[in-house]
Amino acid sequence: MGIPYLPVLGLAGTDLLRRREDMKLLPDPFHPERQTVVVQALRPDVALFHGLRADRAGNVCFGYESDNTILAEASRTVLVTVEEVVDALAPEERAAALPGILVTAVAQARYGAHPAGAPGAYPQDGEHLTRYAQAARSDETFAAYLRETVFDLPDHAAYVARFVPEGWGQRGQLRLQAAGD
Amino acid sequence: MDRPYNDAELMAVLLSREVRDGEISACGTLSMLPAAGLLLAQATHAPDAELIILGSPFVPFATSRQFHYLAQRGDLGLFFVSGVQIDRRGNYNLHLLGRDPDRPDQRFPGGYGGGMIYYAARRTVIFRTEHTPRSLVERVDFISAAGQTPPAVLRYGGPTGVVTPMASLRFDAGAGLLRLASVHAPHTVADVVRSTGFDLGDVSGVGPTPPPSAEELGVLRGEVCARMIESGTYPDWARANLGAGRAA
Repeated sequence: MGIPYLPVLGLAGTDLLRRREDMKLLPDPFHPERQTVVVQALRPDVALFHGLRADRAGNVCFGYESDNTILAEASRTVLVTVEEVVDALAPEERAAALPGILVTAVAQARYGAHPAGAPGAYPQDGEHLTRYAQAARSDETFAAYLRETVFDLPDHAAYVARFVPEGWGQRGQLRLQAAGD
Repeated sequence: MDRPYNDAELMAVLLSREVRDGEISACGTLSMLPAAGLLLAQATHAPDAELIILGSPFVPFATSRQFHYLAQRGDLGLFFVSGVQIDRRGNYNLHLLGRDPDRPDQRFPGGYGGGMIYYAARRTVIFRTEHTPRSLVERVDFISAAGQTPPAVLRYGGPTGVVTPMASLRFDAGAGLLRLASVHAPHTVADVVRSTGFDLGDVSGVGPTPPPSAEELGVLRGEVCARMIESGTYPDWARANLGAGRAA
């Protein structure tokens, strides 16, 4: 990523194309008789996402192939939270990791994906997400939700204590190394 | 209604009939009816169909990028999609309702994927659980996927048809219009004309939809329902809708 634009087959004739400045229907440079939609690439200043594990060189393992890799490749600053930071990723994790050279900073945040899930650690919290969806129906209820879950809390540990169900994901596939391993 | 099946079962069966053996057929997330239809097709006439049910265990990919490029290279035979509005020219709207797109009355999941796949998949069948003048309209408020193709644009496939609880419509590619194909009992052609917000044109000769067969219903309520529950593919929906009130 970090490319100027990307061609896409489709979208022509839609109101999306009519209303978006970053999507255009242009002659295909290789087949000038043809028109192709091109979309301007996003170049985010900052990307924020959550991974499973990172090592001290900033290599990030998601536990699966992740589209976050594309986001990291496109962004200028890449901040990653992970379930745990380890000295070294296992060789098979390292082989499929987001390379640390693309990562600006890593911080440990246990349950940092909640109420979404972190594949390999814990599932999404359906009950909480239902609450989130209901709160998102109006600006007032969403502001109240944000106060309760973000602004009125001192830190992430307080969020976990209050909103992450006891033992969340423990019966799942979570196999984090014990501290100090 | 004096039919031995409910609307969900009817639509799942009709959608399953669209699936061709050996092709890759897909549906998006929160698409219970096509999920059931896809599994039914695989359990009956299309054992070698490849299924992609986004948001379920029936996804061969780890990333949406992989699904995107599968579609882009023209490998999707069939895509099932729903739209809040569908119009006469085969446009559908999954984006917003209201006259002013800057101040919509209501917002929906959005349009990128559908607008792309409408060109890339060989066939797209739209399903809609509401057949009324507000869902089947003369002109959608926002075209998130276009039935018409601007000149000189490459397109692999496009609108194929629409399935609702009342009727099946087919897209006439020559005229660029949706036409009434058949009507599901106990509804009549007159019911459908009254419930459709656009002119269906000449509806003489439109007959009844072949109803779900005993085999289709049996497999849907048995094997397909069990597979949805076991695999965690909308299990609550499957329990509530497939064979609901009929299972011993």
